[in-house]
Amino acid sequence: MGDLLGFVLSGLVSGALYALLATGLVLSSSASGLFNFAHGATAYLCALAFYELHSGFGWPAVPTALLLVCVVAPGLGWGLDRLMFRKLAGVGETAQIVATIGLLVALPAAGLWVVELLERAGAPVQPAENQFGLPGVGPSPAVSWQPLDGVGIDSDQLITWIATALAAAGLWILMRHTRLGLRLRAAVDNRALTELRGISADRLSSTAWMLSSGLAGLAGVLATPLLGLSAHDYTLFLFVSATAAVLGRFASVPLAFAGGLGLGVLQNLVAGYASFAEDITGFRTAVPFLILFAGLLVLGRRRRRAAGTAAADPPPAEYLAGKGWGRRWGAWLVAGVLLGTAFYTVTTPFWSGILAQGLAIGLVFMSFTVVTGLGAMVSLAQGTFVTGSALVAGLLMSHGWPFVAAAAAGTAAAALLGAVVALPALRLGGRSLALATLALAFLADQVLFQLGWLRNGDTGWEIPRPVAGPVDLGDDRAMGLALVLLSGVLVALLTRLRGSRWGRAMLAVRSAPEAAAASGVSVVRTKLLLFTVSAGLAGFGGVLYASYNTRITATDFTAMTGLVWLAVVVAAGVRRPQFAVVAGLVFAAAPHLLTTYVTESAHLPVILFGLAGLALANDPDGYCAALPSRLAARRAAKRAAVTGAVPSPRVAPGTVPPALAARGPATGTVPAPLVAGEGDRPSARTAGPCVVGAGDTGTGGGPREVPSALELSGVRAGYGGAPVLHGVDLAVRGGEVLVLLGPNGAGKSTLCRVAAGLLRPAGGLVRVRGEDATRDATVARARRGVRLAPEGRGIFAGLSIDDNLALQLTAAEDRDAVYARFPALAARRTVAAGSLSGGEQQLLALAPLLQRPPAVLVADEPSLGLAPRVVDEVFHLLTELRDHGTALLLVEEKAAEVLGIADTVAYLAQGEIAWSGPRSEVDRERLAEAYLGTGVRR
Amino acid sequence: MPRPLRVIAATFALLLVTACNSASSGGTAPSSVRGVTADSIRVGGIVSMTTASGYSKKDTDLGARARYDRANAEGGINGRRIEYLGAEDDGQDPARNLAAARRLVQQDKVFAVSPMSSVTFAGAGFLDAQKVPTVGWGTLPSFCGPAHLYGFNGCLVPTPGGTLNQTWPEGLAAVLGGARGKSVALIAGDNDAGKFGIRTFTQGFKAAGFQVAYAKAAVPATSMPSDWSAYTKEILRSGPGGRAPDAVVSVMQTPYNIGLFTALKRSGYKGVISDPTDYDPGLLAKDATKQALDGVHVLLQFQPFESDSPAMRQFKADIRKAAGGKDVPLNMHAMTGYMSADLFLSIAAKAGKDLTVESFQKAAAGFSDTGTLVGDRAEPKGQKESFGCGALVRLKNGRYEVAVPFRCYPPIPFG
Repeated sequence: MGDLLGFVLSGLVSGALYALLATGLVLSSSASGLFNFAHGATAYLCALAFYELHSGFGWPAVPTALLLVCVVAPGLGWGLDRLMFRKLAGVGETAQIVATIGLLVALPAAGLWVVELLERAGAPVQPAENQFGLPGVGPSPAVSWQPLDGVGIDSDQLITWIATALAAAGLWILMRHTRLGLRLRAAVDNRALTELRGISADRLSSTAWMLSSGLAGLAGVLATPLLGLSAHDYTLFLFVSATAAVLGRFASVPLAFAGGLGLGVLQNLVAGYASFAEDITGFRTAVPFLILFAGLLVLGRRRRRAAGTAAADPPPAEYLAGKGWGRRWGAWLVAGVLLGTAFYTVTTPFWSGILAQGLAIGLVFMSFTVVTGLGAMVSLAQGTFVTGSALVAGLLMSHGWPFVAAAAAGTAAAALLGAVVALPALRLGGRSLALATLALAFLADQVLFQLGWLRNGDTGWEIPRPVAGPVDLGDDRAMGLALVLLSGVLVALLTRLRGSRWGRAMLAVRSAPEAAAASGVSVVRTKLLLFTVSAGLAGFGGVLYASYNTRITATDFTAMTGLVWLAVVVAAGVRRPQFAVVAGLVFAAAPHLLTTYVTESAHLPVILFGLAGLALANDPDGYCAALPSRLAARRAAKRAAVTGAVPSPRVAPGTVPPALAARGPATGTVPAPLVAGEGDRPSARTAGPCVVGAGDTGTGGGPREVPSALELSGVRAGYGGAPVLHGVDLAVRGGEVLVLLGPNGAGKSTLCRVAAGLLRPAGGLVRVRGEDATRDATVARARRGVRLAPEGRGIFAGLSIDDNLALQLTAAEDRDAVYARFPALAARRTVAAGSLSGGEQQLLALAPLLQRPPAVLVADEPSLGLAPRVVDEVFHLLTELRDHGTALLLVEEKAAEVLGIADTVAYLAQGEIAWSGPRSEVDRERLAEAYLGTGVRR
Repeated sequence: MPRPLRVIAATFALLLVTACNSASSGGTAPSSVRGVTADSIRVGGIVSMTTASGYSKKDTDLGARARYDRANAEGGINGRRIEYLGAEDDGQDPARNLAAARRLVQQDKVFAVSPMSSVTFAGAGFLDAQKVPTVGWGTLPSFCGPAHLYGFNGCLVPTPGGTLNQTWPEGLAAVLGGARGKSVALIAGDNDAGKFGIRTFTQGFKAAGFQVAYAKAAVPATSMPSDWSAYTKEILRSGPGGRAPDAVVSVMQTPYNIGLFTALKRSGYKGVISDPTDYDPGLLAKDATKQALDGVHVLLQFQPFESDSPAMRQFKADIRKAAGGKDVPLNMHAMTGYMSADLFLSIAAKAGKDLTVESFQKAAAGFSDTGTLVGDRAEPKGQKESFGCGALVRLKNGRYEVAVPFRCYPPIPFG
């Protein structure tokens, strides 16, 4: 019993550190929607700073720790958010993951570089290497007590507990009992809706990052005596604590915190009682990753996300689309020929070797083109496939197998491993998938590759260069040339694959799994195949890479290697196999070029590499794609300027248009952007003649004294160069209801987005209460008094009813008034809003507005999916709002009920106002015409 | 395939086939010896200096420089100065290790690589194939076998059928007053290397007459436990009759040892504690490490810095000079660099005026000397086994003391 208590208590120490890190992960993930791989690096940086300031400069421990945790670390978080993560929030998940991987290596290097510079400047810094037993905040060496028999604690542990408890209490008060906390929780729940409520999510995200970094800093300072100054250990610690963040589903701070504590205890219990697994080398080492993997599987299943893809990063506009073969491939072909020729003409033996190495690693990198580029799945286990395949090939070659057969067997083994890894991929998506593959990679490192017969100790296996008849690849030049040819063949094959039926199937699965399944494409089989092919390719490249090295040992390519590889490939571009070749060459050559021509410092190249992630924020498709398309765009712009042609598309090349996601699932997701197909194609249709807009009725006959509460004139808008609205005029005055009708795909939701400031129009004007508001962002528009009740329900599903109300009604009496009016809400004020019925949710969304009527309410299909009786009630509330003086713009597909409360009616058809006028002039024929699109426009 | 592509592919394929001839004919010996001129020998080094784990061996470079400086001050080797290029940093990364080896040979054209000290030696195959004499820390299997690679104190990885170095068991037996009836607990990290360590030392300690009460590779090898009670409890009950064993031997790295030893002492363990890595006077700078390691017997395979032999005095003077006249803390990395350089110089001196790879190898084949800082050296024996010499020092009141003086022990067969 004493044992058990002891294990639990001391397990709480690492548990506390896990909890702090996991909480920080949840905060940053909810702020920017990404998994911050660099979180451990932040902790390391603080530990390093603490050590240098305390032990080097002799600053007192507690004030130094407070300074770091409360000022420096939050400052770092703020800076990173402003410089990087805010921009990254808009790009795809792959680029986000990679940018944080870049930071993961860059931050420690930056810290060490600063130490190096300070040392050169004569500052009393201490060397950061080989430091053990570092002092923490408390006494060093730690004082220890033995309160119970067999249960010992020391001062460092005690400090960790107390500091963590204080941090937890502080966080709890902040999140539960302050306005900032409420807003943070709201932003976590639904970022877009927060903005619609006039709360700047960007500022909240900065706050969350500051908190997150502060927590990382706290963990770093507390862990200094335990982990010393090993950036690697901090990162491993972070991966383990990711388990706790997964338990909290990257959204719940208390769950993540509790998960962290539990994880520490569990790990300790396993260490104490796992004697059953003693025969499995590496089992105890692998425990945290086993838990991580299991957690992902269990929780991933419950999550209702079948996507299985990281994020359907939309492809960039291809500037070479439709160009001829020569135009597409000419430059690559010339480059290949030059490279092949260079081996026998200009390159020195050293550079021949480096280039051959680059080409070999390029083969491995091509596997990312398949799994991440084509399949949009982030695999961090590619290093595992390489090691597995090379070990198998080496093992077989030691038994006398010829190179080709061994390589084939290795490739098959890697493909098999890939299939095993793919099994979780089938149900996980996004960062969960990335983490699962990472956990598997660690498991492979720690258990699979510890098998003596497979790894052959530290000796590994010899993999001699292949010799086939007269071709002897023992010479670097021959090896290089062979690899150029092989790369060419593989690029051609992969390009073909992409265009093949199977490649199209994959693209379909990637962008819309349900639709793909409906059209007879097996999602499961496609993904499995994809992973398998990618793993096999990585394995094949791995055998060749190992044969370049002439030996493979089990520690040559670790899980961390796979992480860095992904960053290198994505930085170059992951959509085309030829980019992977470039990435390989750059990866092999850049360090040598840098040390030869730029800097002697070992840290600077690492920092530069890490900062490449910053570039991704601007060019998420990598430098290989960005360079030529930027050039092409510049040329096009120049041409356009010369010919004076139509303005170039608004979206700059390289930037990504808003995600063309499917209309969100019913709960919680708000203004879903339109599906590509829903927005009308502009095709050959020319903009119609000037239509009679609602604005005309306002200015035409009516009294002029009140300016329109909301006025759109000549608004054109669309997504990524696909126009949806073609010059819409609308105006609605306070105390008036304008009902906008129109068929599916007419552009109603787009119009709502423009009105709410979610989408900036490409042309035309938006005025709110007479003032020009065209260039407003969402928050500014909301602050002008324009509210959007988005399609679906405009509530924070994860927050309680009370929280939902408190976000908009600061005064308690306002909330009481709402409860008095809606007793159904009052009875369940602590219940999560998401558990209300659809009607109640809509009431909850409208209730605070009644209390504080906005100037303008734009309601996108307020009756969608509601029972008729509830619809009546909703409409009744809307009339009440009108009577309070609010201008209402109601968008509906079904005309029947809503017409009852309309003052003015407008039809939107194919992005234009086809007819508008007072309700009295609406008749059935007009309605039918508007819907059928017959004859109304002429 | 489009036509031009076919032509190019065919040309390249042809080039590939014909190239092989040049490749195979390129193997003939060059007219002059790489890196050797009438008055100089060019030597490089590979050392892991910057690593993500914060573990650095950078003083290896200092040690080597110190030894080469003295050689040059004494007039060089057979009239040739040593042109030491300094050590390349491989960052514990296999790819960088290989690249460093290639750069030294192909770009810098060194005659030899010494020192080479890292946790990875991916460049081994290349260096051996290019016939580059290489001396380094023989903790990796690559130092055991390949013709051109030498460990400065021999090959430290026992191979089945080879021999096992008994320095540690014999030394501990001396500390305990004989091994008979004494029990020992062995603990290592939970990975293949840890298992291998447990296996070798179990055999070694048993052969020396110890009773091995506990031998487990049980500690998570990548994330250090914050709590050691699970391990200490088991160890402390493992001895005969459920008592604590007479000695606890850790085959782990410093941070792990600090945690384990602290926990052992807190649980009231009074026996002998020993490990092979913590002989680093730098550790004494921290109170926590000083306390954790107090009383611990550390194994080392070279003469302790505390000994007062002429060779040690010379070593200290050389290091001091190379460090610009400052007293720098000595550690085993400085020793690694120094003795790697020393072994290279000694063999090169024996090779005579006509220094080529062949003459170096020939000199190495029959090389032996005695009484160095690493004991009695002999090649090619050192390419199969450790020189088998060592000492135990004990940390007491913040200072290392020699507990068992440096000497060489006969090895036992390993299988």
